[in-house]
Amino acid sequence: MSEFHLTEDQQDCLQELINIAMGQASDQLARYLDTFVYLKVPSIESIDAKDLLQTLSQQKNTMAVVSQGFFGYEGIRGEALLSYQEEDSGRIGDLLGYEPDELSQDEQLIDISSILTTTFLNVFARQIDNQMSYNAPKLLPSVQNCLSEHLQEMTFNWDLALKININYQVTDYSFNCNMILLIPETAIINIKKVLDRILAEF
Amino acid sequence: MLDFNALISEKSTNKQALSGTVLKQINTQISNQINTGVLVLDAEFNIVLWNRFLQVHTDKDAANIIGQSIFIAFPELPERWLSRKLSAVLQLNTPSFCSWQQRHHLFELPHTRQITTDSEFMAQNCTFLPIDTDCEHKHICILIEDVTDVCHYQGQLQKTLAELAQMSRIDGLTQIYNRRHWQDSLVQEYAKSRRHTKNLSLMMLDLDHFKLLNDNYGHQCGDMVLIEISALISSLLRVEDIFGRYGGEEFAIILPETNLTGAMELAQRICHSIATAPLKYNGQVIKVTVSLGVAPLSEQTSSYEELITHADLALYQAKAQGRNQVCSATNMATA
Repeated sequence: MSEFHLTEDQQDCLQELINIAMGQASDQLARYLDTFVYLKVPSIESIDAKDLLQTLSQQKNTMAVVSQGFFGYEGIRGEALLSYQEEDSGRIGDLLGYEPDELSQDEQLIDISSILTTTFLNVFARQIDNQMSYNAPKLLPSVQNCLSEHLQEMTFNWDLALKININYQVTDYSFNCNMILLIPETAIINIKKVLDRILAEF
Repeated sequence: MLDFNALISEKSTNKQALSGTVLKQINTQISNQINTGVLVLDAEFNIVLWNRFLQVHTDKDAANIIGQSIFIAFPELPERWLSRKLSAVLQLNTPSFCSWQQRHHLFELPHTRQITTDSEFMAQNCTFLPIDTDCEHKHICILIEDVTDVCHYQGQLQKTLAELAQMSRIDGLTQIYNRRHWQDSLVQEYAKSRRHTKNLSLMMLDLDHFKLLNDNYGHQCGDMVLIEISALISSLLRVEDIFGRYGGEEFAIILPETNLTGAMELAQRICHSIATAPLKYNGQVIKVTVSLGVAPLSEQTSSYEELITHADLALYQAKAQGRNQVCSATNMATA
């Protein structure tokens, strides 16, 4: 147990905050997309840099990964990775309400990623009295079958990260994607402080 | 909820507080000096504010712009797509982005490197931000960043990478495929022909007495001959044929969907064309001939390497029989 691990209370508190945020985010998304959006119960765990490689490369058929950085007050920051499978991404333009020739596949992926990430994190930030800003979302290069190679080439400047995994499903459009929020070491300390404050207020 | 504005004003009251007017002046000057376009729209997408950067770059009259629909002021914008994107910003209260990598530009603006880059319009990264004010309706702020430089250098990089990829496939002297790329292609063509049970033939050819030519006329003459012969053979091939330099004066041609008869005809034509080609070096006529070996893919062929071996053996036989001629691997087997 290091200073970067969450206590049981902290973990429960974060889980509850995320559950509430997911409920609100799915409601907002459903209104905007005009269809039901299902979010599966999230998983929260601490993860080693080397395990992240494994987790991501285990996901077979990953067609694309979109990354978007987020940062708020009190040192809350991290990176959202949204991963897509070939078979679940055919109708994203349709889902977003665009005509087929209006935007490329890459742009569809980037657009939906940004909407999912920012909608969820905005609601989550409100839960912890914070406010998020975001980087422009980026499609990670040449993901086809070599995401793990890509990640192996990266040298992480962190050993441990808090990993929050949320799965989005829109059955009407056979859409499915995984959102992985990664919060690196220093930001974990900051989020623990926030959680302790919230716990103290109970 | 933490009130961050309160924190800021509390801090500033401790020292000599700047008046609201002065702060406003500072903010206005920053937004007018910044090298980023700032455009604010109301919920109906009419322009309510823009900064100097946009005014200067669009060269439009400020009096006409304010209050105008963004789609009338900038008719180049893709209206349906952008309306949907902007409505997401309003409805979800989240920022939205548009990168030059997906859309080179949204606004047709000139850029500041018109002399030293080749793009007509400024490459842009656009950010769409929801703005909450005391006004009951939301606003949207569009930030337009000039990324023409990034776009230009990325283009240069891609071009260089493509050149490198091309160079790694090409033999520097003869400008035909090098050994490595040729062999990679053979592996693929072999697999393809096996999978679809299609014909495939291989031709190996070697310049006759090339060492003698180098000794008599010098290596520059030898190089000239290699270049001329490569060009001559290339002109006799179909687009799908894969022609490579196998070794010093040895060449190899992969002939997809070609049976032995077809390959032999082509080999004879190459042999004849080279023998009768008027090659000249320093005013002297150089007589060059080649020997060729042809091998077709058969059911017995167990690997692409075996195909090379068969063509090679046929080539040796052509040499042994007196050069300037074609031999096939099947003739040899029956001989």
